[in-house]
Amino acid sequence: MTSRTATRPQAPAATASAPARGVVLLAVRLVRRGTLVVTVLSGVLAAFVAVQYRSTFQGALTTGSLTALADNPAIRTLFGPARALDDAGGFTVWRTGTVLAVLAGVWAALTATRVTRGEEESGRWDLLLAGRVRAATLVRRQLAVVLVAAALPGVAVAIGMLLVGTVTTGALLFGAVVAGAGLTGAACGGLAAQLLAERRAASGLAVGLVLAGLLLRMVGDGVDALGWLRWLSPFGLLSTVAPYADDRAAPLLVLAALAVVPAVIAVVLAGRRDVGAGLLGGRDTARSPSPLLRSLPGLCVHRVRRALVTWGVGVGAYFLLIGLLATAMTDFLEANRQFAELAVEAGFDELFTVQGYAASLFSLLAVPVGAFAASRIAASAADEVAGRLALLYSLPVRRARWAGTEAATVALGCVVLASVAGLATWAGAAWVGSGLTSGEALAGALNVVPVALLCLGAALFALGYAPGAVLAIGVLPAAGGYLLLLFADTFGWPEAARALSPFAHVASVPADPPDLVGAVGMVAVAAVLGFAGVVAYARRDLRE
Amino acid sequence: MALLPAAVPALRAENLSKRFSTTLAVDDLSLTVPTGEVFGFLGPNGAGKSTTIRLLLGLLRPTHGAAWIFDDPVADVARAHRHLAYVPADVALWPAFTGQECLDLLAGVGPGTDLAYRDELVARFGLEPGRRARTYSTGNRQKVALVAAFATRAPLLVLDEPTSGLDPLMEREFRRCIAEAAERGQTVFLSSHKLVEVEAVCSRVGILRTGRLVEVAGLEELRRLRRTEVTVDLSRPAPRLRGLADLPGVTDLRWASGLQFTLSLVGPPGPVLRALGETDVARIDVREPSLEEIFLDYYGEVSA
Repeated sequence: MTSRTATRPQAPAATASAPARGVVLLAVRLVRRGTLVVTVLSGVLAAFVAVQYRSTFQGALTTGSLTALADNPAIRTLFGPARALDDAGGFTVWRTGTVLAVLAGVWAALTATRVTRGEEESGRWDLLLAGRVRAATLVRRQLAVVLVAAALPGVAVAIGMLLVGTVTTGALLFGAVVAGAGLTGAACGGLAAQLLAERRAASGLAVGLVLAGLLLRMVGDGVDALGWLRWLSPFGLLSTVAPYADDRAAPLLVLAALAVVPAVIAVVLAGRRDVGAGLLGGRDTARSPSPLLRSLPGLCVHRVRRALVTWGVGVGAYFLLIGLLATAMTDFLEANRQFAELAVEAGFDELFTVQGYAASLFSLLAVPVGAFAASRIAASAADEVAGRLALLYSLPVRRARWAGTEAATVALGCVVLASVAGLATWAGAAWVGSGLTSGEALAGALNVVPVALLCLGAALFALGYAPGAVLAIGVLPAAGGYLLLLFADTFGWPEAARALSPFAHVASVPADPPDLVGAVGMVAVAAVLGFAGVVAYARRDLRE
Repeated sequence: MALLPAAVPALRAENLSKRFSTTLAVDDLSLTVPTGEVFGFLGPNGAGKSTTIRLLLGLLRPTHGAAWIFDDPVADVARAHRHLAYVPADVALWPAFTGQECLDLLAGVGPGTDLAYRDELVARFGLEPGRRARTYSTGNRQKVALVAAFATRAPLLVLDEPTSGLDPLMEREFRRCIAEAAERGQTVFLSSHKLVEVEAVCSRVGILRTGRLVEVAGLEELRRLRRTEVTVDLSRPAPRLRGLADLPGVTDLRWASGLQFTLSLVGPPGPVLRALGETDVARIDVREPSLEEIFLDYYGEVSA
């Protein structure tokens, strides 16, 4: 160094590690709340089911029904292979393993895109990157924080299972697989965030990758010839590891690779692109402007259509598979009365007929359709914060009119989404000749729309009163209501508590006639919530 | 759009206040902007200009007071916004929409747009409407909002620092558009901290400081704030000039030496020139301070 340059002001050496620590602390702040919720929920749910098993099932299953259960392709496809059902741990893995792994994976994928692409898209990175942090370093550190957070639900599951006294090896392997699913989801999110420049698109791609893993598991578990597909999916590896049964640890290496490979690619790609850009840029120009974008309803349709197609493909694929499995499932239950009785106790009522089977599975449909509704209102809240509604609201557009138009469009979208599920189930069921009519399938699917409308109403209520929590409050009636009914039934909570769950007011259509009073009641509650929310939205300050 | 009677002010605010938890962002602001006026709304960053505009647009609810756009209460946006077009300080567009789609949407939902004039404006501002908004710079996004606003021919244009991202050529185009709007009788409410721009286009200005409207004055009055800095070199000492300080409009007289002095002059220069005419002046240098300097001076005076 020459004497001339030596006179330049130098950064104090003591702060050399400060930018690195600052980036990490920032990422921790961004993820801590969601991590806490998902981690606690995962641990409690796993432990809860293990306890539930001890009080209801222990010793009730014979070897014959277990073997039949493990061999039935329908059971394997829907719930994963049934292994070690004579053990509280094994039963918990079968009953909650896929749910917990999917929850961890989807949440981690969304968190990863939010922390990396979301912060970058908002322009908040520009300030950080004007300092001494390189873009690749920033991605690496933030992804590292998200990966650590993504593993925590798995840790909680292992701790929960150990606390309720299941076998140590099984508990650790179970936790490791859930953690691996979280890590894979986070890594896919980090990768999608490098590929696509918009957070919403990146989130969609990442969640799509995670759910594709679920479909791979379903096909791999259901069709013996395609069993190898399980090795490509963290959920499939749950069956390969088989905690509490085979307790194989070696597949965990494959699981680690499923997480490490996308994470490494993400970090490498992060150093090879411009800040603010993705590697897969869409076209920067459009040939002709969309004719939809000339009116308020047109704008709402334009905003909802891509999301509707994405959700429709996912829901359609799942329910097509459900339809294809209809006869395999009912035949199995017909041949195994003992298990059918247990299934009734476990909450899968009336699985004996194809109508009962379809009705049981349609009740699950309320969760994705409700999440779709909540996510659309959350997108509107995000547009508000990003300032995109300011120009619209400078036109003669009342906020109640915009929110009302959007809510109507989303409600219509819920009906379309439910119909897609109904028709997909019917198509699958018709293919295997199960005797489920299209009318029955549609009625069963549309029967859960009131629950989704409750989600829409709750999301609108949040838009007015708690605009920062639209998505969380919006999915509460469906996801929270499902858990509430499960807990209430298991612990024998009073009817008043049970009745708070929307699912307590949904009849098993098409096996039973629809609960019209329940449906009308839910739609009325949804309307009141939505109306109150829109009124508050119209009266509050617009956020920016 | 029906022409409104000239007697109705384009914009009226009475005792408008906005409090954000502990901060009083706008404090008891009363203001009337008559139809046809180009009104400049001045103030430093954080003075409350954007908050005031968001109150006038009904995007924020006032804590106290009320405001009207052509006699329609601002809370009734379906009526009030038929009369106005707005350009925000920070234009956010849906990133996947093209500029053309944004313009179509604003025209389709808005109260009416002169499409031929819009095409002309697109060409004048050099906007590439086929590109998606995510590829636009700050200035290009501002152009989209400006083109949409001017093309509505709304009787009131509310512009919040609309040229902060524009280059000098586009700024010139913007000033032309304001002049054309004024010729057509449109009212313009222009928030800015560019005094040159305000001086070029506005006929009256309001000055906002920490949420309070401290001054509303015509441009002529603003010009009176202007002081000229005069530096004079003399060939020979002129003791009589010691009396310069007593002349009207002269302040801050400073003698650098017996042969050189500077003074600040406000108002007509006649008396000073007459006094200098009787002496042997070698060189005279008259410098007008920049408008920014006046602005800073003004804020200095107010805070003193």
